[in-house]
Amino acid sequence: MKPHALLATLAALVLLPAQAADMNKVLRVALNAPETGFDPAKVSDLYSSTVTENIFDPLVTYDYLARPAKLIPNTVSALPTISADGKVYTFRLKPGIHFAADPAFKGKKRELTAADYAYSIKRHLDPSIHSPWSFLVDGRFVGGNELVKAAGKGALNYDAPLEGIKVLDRYTLQLTLTATNFNYLPILAMPAFGAVAREVIEANRDNTNAHPVGTGPYLLKEWKPGSRIVLEANPGFRKLVFNATPGNDPVDKAVVQALQGKTLPQVGRIEISVIEEEQPLWLSFLNRQLDVSGIPQAALQSALVIDPKNPLKVRLAEQYARQGIQLQRQLLPEVTFHFFNMQDPVVGGDSKDKIALRRAIAMSFPVSEAIASIRRGQAVPMNYIVPPGVAGHNPAFRGAPKYDPAAANALLDRFGYRVGADGYRTRPDGKPLAIELACGTSSTDKQWNEYWQKTFDTLKIRLGFRQGKWNELSKANHQGKLQMWGMAWGADYPDGENFMQLLYGRNAGDSNAADFKNADYDRLFEASLKLPHGAERSQLYDAMNKIVVAQQPWIFGDIRMRSTLAHSYVKGLKLHPLLNTSWRYLDLQK
Amino acid sequence: MLAYIVRRVWQMVPTLFGVMLLLFVLFNWVGGDPSYILAGKNLSAEALAGIRQQLGLDLPLPQQFLIFVRQVLTLDFGTSWSTQQPVSALLHSRIGPSLLLTGSILLLGTVLAIGIAALVAYLRGSVTDRLVTLIATCAMSVSALVYIIAGQYWLAFKGGWFPIMGWSDSTLDNLLHYLPLPLLLGVIVGLAPDIRFYRSCFVEELGHDYVRTARAKGLSEPVIMLKHVLRNAMIPVVTSLMMSLPYLMMGAMLLETFFGIPGMGKEVVMAVERSDFPVIKAITIYIALATMLFNLLTDIVYKLIDPRVQLH
Repeated sequence: MKPHALLATLAALVLLPAQAADMNKVLRVALNAPETGFDPAKVSDLYSSTVTENIFDPLVTYDYLARPAKLIPNTVSALPTISADGKVYTFRLKPGIHFAADPAFKGKKRELTAADYAYSIKRHLDPSIHSPWSFLVDGRFVGGNELVKAAGKGALNYDAPLEGIKVLDRYTLQLTLTATNFNYLPILAMPAFGAVAREVIEANRDNTNAHPVGTGPYLLKEWKPGSRIVLEANPGFRKLVFNATPGNDPVDKAVVQALQGKTLPQVGRIEISVIEEEQPLWLSFLNRQLDVSGIPQAALQSALVIDPKNPLKVRLAEQYARQGIQLQRQLLPEVTFHFFNMQDPVVGGDSKDKIALRRAIAMSFPVSEAIASIRRGQAVPMNYIVPPGVAGHNPAFRGAPKYDPAAANALLDRFGYRVGADGYRTRPDGKPLAIELACGTSSTDKQWNEYWQKTFDTLKIRLGFRQGKWNELSKANHQGKLQMWGMAWGADYPDGENFMQLLYGRNAGDSNAADFKNADYDRLFEASLKLPHGAERSQLYDAMNKIVVAQQPWIFGDIRMRSTLAHSYVKGLKLHPLLNTSWRYLDLQK
Repeated sequence: MLAYIVRRVWQMVPTLFGVMLLLFVLFNWVGGDPSYILAGKNLSAEALAGIRQQLGLDLPLPQQFLIFVRQVLTLDFGTSWSTQQPVSALLHSRIGPSLLLTGSILLLGTVLAIGIAALVAYLRGSVTDRLVTLIATCAMSVSALVYIIAGQYWLAFKGGWFPIMGWSDSTLDNLLHYLPLPLLLGVIVGLAPDIRFYRSCFVEELGHDYVRTARAKGLSEPVIMLKHVLRNAMIPVVTSLMMSLPYLMMGAMLLETFFGIPGMGKEVVMAVERSDFPVIKAITIYIALATMLFNLLTDIVYKLIDPRVQLH
């Protein structure tokens, strides 16, 4: 389906509350790991965001059907006007949108205004909140740094005027950036930038995680941390009618057939269980105790018929297809990679011998074999820092070196890594060569370790594993104590900048886990920030990818494929690369 | 007796202090730094320092320990570092499901194990005794995880006799629907080692002279077993039971995880994974207190069971 062939729009016909949800329709879903809370300025984990996405409204959101992902107005009447220099964004809110009822409103209806968004965005700047998303706002708004500096370690003065985040009138919000950035809008579509009401936050200051009150389609009815979350349709939610024109995609057609003309949401209650083990998750789905579910790794072989020649070509196993179970799949907007500590005396640095060592390791790691075995073929090799589905991706670029252990050994020979009497290589200066790879403790980590051991054995390099919890390893990496470690980075927003910044020198010690510092890369990155998504920026991204290929601070890993199943009575499902859930679009027709 | 109880309670103070010191040292040594979890993707030095300051992790260690002492004295452990929920509320919501599950398992498992153990001890050397011992030995060699996975698959999924998992706000609903399968599996897991242990207690008692004397007096075997042997065999049984009581609070992590029971076992695992020290502190201290109290209670029960026992 061509992206432009589809024009799916959600039309807010009348901004009056119109409870359409059937409270007898209960959607039962599961999270694979425990959430932490529901204050958009305090949580950043996927599981919490999955819930906050349905409670809070960001200014803009994504068209449910359009691919690649397309931004559309959410609580604003139109996409913002952006000044010619890419610095000033002006939003005009729709009047008549109200927060869900809360005691903090003292029985009155509370309308959503521009001031709520100003307050909500400022909360990410507040030093007393320690927002995990502060890196998306720090230094971005005119006057922001000064306001934060004035707050010291205390709370931000929300009433102080801030040129960068300005309320022009009740419904008009103006954001002024410190630097040209045509790509800031996707950040504002994140659940973290949904509007909260200041009264509610202040009334529940000690426990904002448990009191989410937004303008979204659902409200929090029950929360048992790490166990069960219940959402119910927000009775005050604005009338939102699904209205879309499908293209040729059969999934789109089915969605439109199920939802066209219907007021959203249709499902009245959502019961979310936290199920961390694969067996109960899978059996609960098969037993219809869950309506929608992913496929656990262990069940992939039985649930899918995988073409051995092309593992990405799959169909649902006959026994499940007969039941009418629906299968949907999509590549996740993420990358997985292993990085080298570029400041490490053994594997880091930009001398030719160090580059040769990193290149040889990259050339000897059997990515495709590992994908076939560990991922059951449900992933594709990563070849570009920006993954498919994210603005800036170049599908023609081949960044991963060809798997060639013989050439890798020859490369090491050539750069002085000689094989000693003990059968292992030494460094060019004759010192012993041993590399330590950090890893987790799960069974999947152990599977990956087997491939790494094989890789290093092939190269005749001693390998040690440093196992630990994520936070322990992250701390060790910050202290420069790791040599190699594997990571995954999922798109926070669908713009290449979110990925290219992972190797930006000024982010070293932060999101730049490899501590990679390259003046040319940094210069190109800074230039790319001033450009909108397009050919000119893509050229810069290509040049930056070439630098990474040449310097090899990363070993490119893979991009996972997500498979989701839903029972036949679940209507309106379409996986979205950026929206965490489809709940507001689902209907249950049992 | 009162003087003994007062003395034992007084002895708990240094023990509890030791537990606190050990826990504090262990957490600071190997507990992991929670600021790296709470920071999310924002791992800048400023963000990490800000979080550490907010959590009080930048304070000198003696000061942090004093805060811990105050928390123990007031039994107010503050709020969870990861969810920001009051620790007391978290544990309050978790303790009920855990006690319902583990308490039921202990009760049913103990009754069954004592009954079977007494029977096979009475029939010691017979085919029944050998068969039960053989089955118990084999059953003990199988991991608890296997019972849970197989039980959930065959009894709930294939058999359809139980829900796959779940938990309700209604105790009656839980007792009727959600508890039976995890209860059954929990009992099966614990039954074999209990039968073997209790059997050996009974067999040992059956070999004593007083049993021969009772038989010589013409007492019936049921009277000998129930009135004499059972009572004397109860000392090690009570010890075992009382020592396991504090751990009822800990819940049954595997059963809770597989059957979606919102109990303490899941909470403990989450707290450790997230380096959530307030929750870890609270659970550890409560378990330590309960262990000490039940130890004391065990000694008192000894005295009640066997008047010959002297408490010094």
